[in-house]
Amino acid sequence: MKILIVEDEVKMSDYLRQGLIEAGFVVDLARNGLDGHHLAMTERYDLLILDVMLPDVDGWRIIKSLRESGRQVPVLFLTARDSVDDRVKGLELGADDYLVKPFAFAELLARVRTLLRRGTITTTETTLTAADLELDLMSRRVTRAGRRIPLTAKEFALLELLIRHRDEVLPRSLIASQVWDMNFDSDTNVIDVAIRRLRSKIDDTFERKLIQTVRGMGYMLETTGKD
Amino acid sequence: MHRPPSLALRLTLLFGIAAALIFPCFGWVINRSMEKHFEAEDVAELQVIDHAVEEGLSGVHSGTDLTTLERRFKDLLVGHHRASMYLLGEGKRPIYESPGPDLSTLAQAFSANTDSHTVHQWKDAQHSYRVLIRRVSEDEIIGRPSYIIAIAVQIDYHLKFLDHFRETLWIVIAGSIAIMTLMGWIAVRQGHAPLRDIVTQIRRISANELNTRLSPETVPRELTDLAVSFNEMLARVDQAFHRLSDFNADIAHELRTPIANLMTQTQVALSRERTIDKYREILYSNMEEYERMAQMVGDMLFLAQAENSPRKINSADLDLAREVHMLFDYYEGWAEERDVTLVLEGAATVSGDRLMLQRALGNLLSNAIRHTATGETVRVGLGTSIDGTVSIVVENTGAEIPAEAIPKLFERFYRVDPSRQRDGNGAGLGLAIVKSIVDAHGGNIDVVSGAGRTRFRIILPGPSTAVADTGNE
Repeated sequence: MKILIVEDEVKMSDYLRQGLIEAGFVVDLARNGLDGHHLAMTERYDLLILDVMLPDVDGWRIIKSLRESGRQVPVLFLTARDSVDDRVKGLELGADDYLVKPFAFAELLARVRTLLRRGTITTTETTLTAADLELDLMSRRVTRAGRRIPLTAKEFALLELLIRHRDEVLPRSLIASQVWDMNFDSDTNVIDVAIRRLRSKIDDTFERKLIQTVRGMGYMLETTGKD
Repeated sequence: MHRPPSLALRLTLLFGIAAALIFPCFGWVINRSMEKHFEAEDVAELQVIDHAVEEGLSGVHSGTDLTTLERRFKDLLVGHHRASMYLLGEGKRPIYESPGPDLSTLAQAFSANTDSHTVHQWKDAQHSYRVLIRRVSEDEIIGRPSYIIAIAVQIDYHLKFLDHFRETLWIVIAGSIAIMTLMGWIAVRQGHAPLRDIVTQIRRISANELNTRLSPETVPRELTDLAVSFNEMLARVDQAFHRLSDFNADIAHELRTPIANLMTQTQVALSRERTIDKYREILYSNMEEYERMAQMVGDMLFLAQAENSPRKINSADLDLAREVHMLFDYYEGWAEERDVTLVLEGAATVSGDRLMLQRALGNLLSNAIRHTATGETVRVGLGTSIDGTVSIVVENTGAEIPAEAIPKLFERFYRVDPSRQRDGNGAGLGLAIVKSIVDAHGGNIDVVSGAGRTRFRIILPGPSTAVADTGNE
């Protein structure tokens, strides 16, 4: 998966590149709008991360030329300005997602993965499995090692989200927005409580703990760890 | 845009036009009276002569000697040196003609018509005259013949005088108009002096003297309103200015604490070699501070936006009961852990921005849950009143908010208990955000705390009014 980052801020772009490379992506970096525009129009990428505010050719211009030339590569906008107008403008110009600085890197990673997945055709699965955990999406039944685990609707939704993003760190804000449709930063530990409750049902009685806390970042359902 | 003409020009013009209308009228009246007066004087003289002529004629009969008659008339005209006369007898026979203008044509013409008496102005080659012509027919005395007499008084002198007089009059009038206009202009300039004073005073007010006020008692009554409303505006600006600078100070202060933590921690950490785990620990701890700052900055931005463009809300009809249930779902686990029950009563529909209202209710709810004693209940009540306004009440039992804290509760960075600012209570922006959201929706929020319970109440305009409100954006 090849990603182009167009970002003029040196520290930000360096760390973005490093983070994305370490997450397993191939990353090109353009430090100004002109280079970014050129690369975006000539190379093939699976995803573009564009800063809106660039000194020469801004993000709007790049996405405009991209869409006008018929390139449907997903674009994630980064901006320091959080205004409804900007958001609307970005979406109108064909941006696929929008992140306001400062953002959690885990959040960026999660959104990048979602955008990359969007393009690929997902078979309508009826069951999700992770290690010895199995979710039946039709009957909303959860079993682990063959044992049935009763979950509430929200717990099921939370577990489904974790499994769908297995081995990815999910920040709390993303969980709140995806499971509960709560789109504001709550200063409470609501998500921690919810995860604790879910753990008590699916992890506590088992030796292998699936739900991992990634300190300072969020939660992850880990399937690749030591078996 | 066309700029209206200056006040001085307008008022001066007005004065000028008024003078130009009034003075000529006076002039005309005076002129007319003068003309009438001279005419009356001329006519009086003519009548005196006429009377004398009639007297003179009374002793005349057909046989009277012409020379006697001539002498009699000559005597008669003595003392009237500007007068001359012409007398026609029976059958238009000239009887007497004094020296002077030739009145024969006039007298002959008169006899043709039936008028018995005319006075008019007449002019020959050199002079102007007022002429009286009449038929003297003493029919009552049988045998007396009838005569036609024409008496003329030269009026050059009077006309000349009148011409002079008129000339002077017009000069005086023109001068008066000019003086009036000038006076008007001066009066306006003078009249505007208090305005210029106010301008000077206003000009002297700088940003750090916003507490200066104009004194409404020292300006003319007409300008009192201006001074008063200017003072009011100044008060508002002053208030906003102070709030803004307080606010800046608050931000600086709020950021200083986490930055100080970060600096100290990092400097101590770098002061000597540590294990990888220690470094990781420090980075995590740093990240927590960063997150706190990021959230604060985000909240500040949200507040600034809500304040600057309160109209930018995406209104849609919202089923509040559904929203509250969703929030209950979200907070349920946390509330259960604290052994707090969540109860919803009533239902209501409101027109508003879903994300904003969700955030406002979420803040109130988390606030309520946090301050409720274990085993107690948080109640959310929804209702629509007769006038269509929607009320949202969030009530919890637990520690009361001290009375002196209530007016400040919705201010930014205000915390009831300053020592609690670091226990996950956020930056003290939660309730400020709630208020700004409610304000943006044209609503009101108040809080009552007493008898072991605290009650926040939001009043929002009903769906119809809110829709109309956003409709004229």
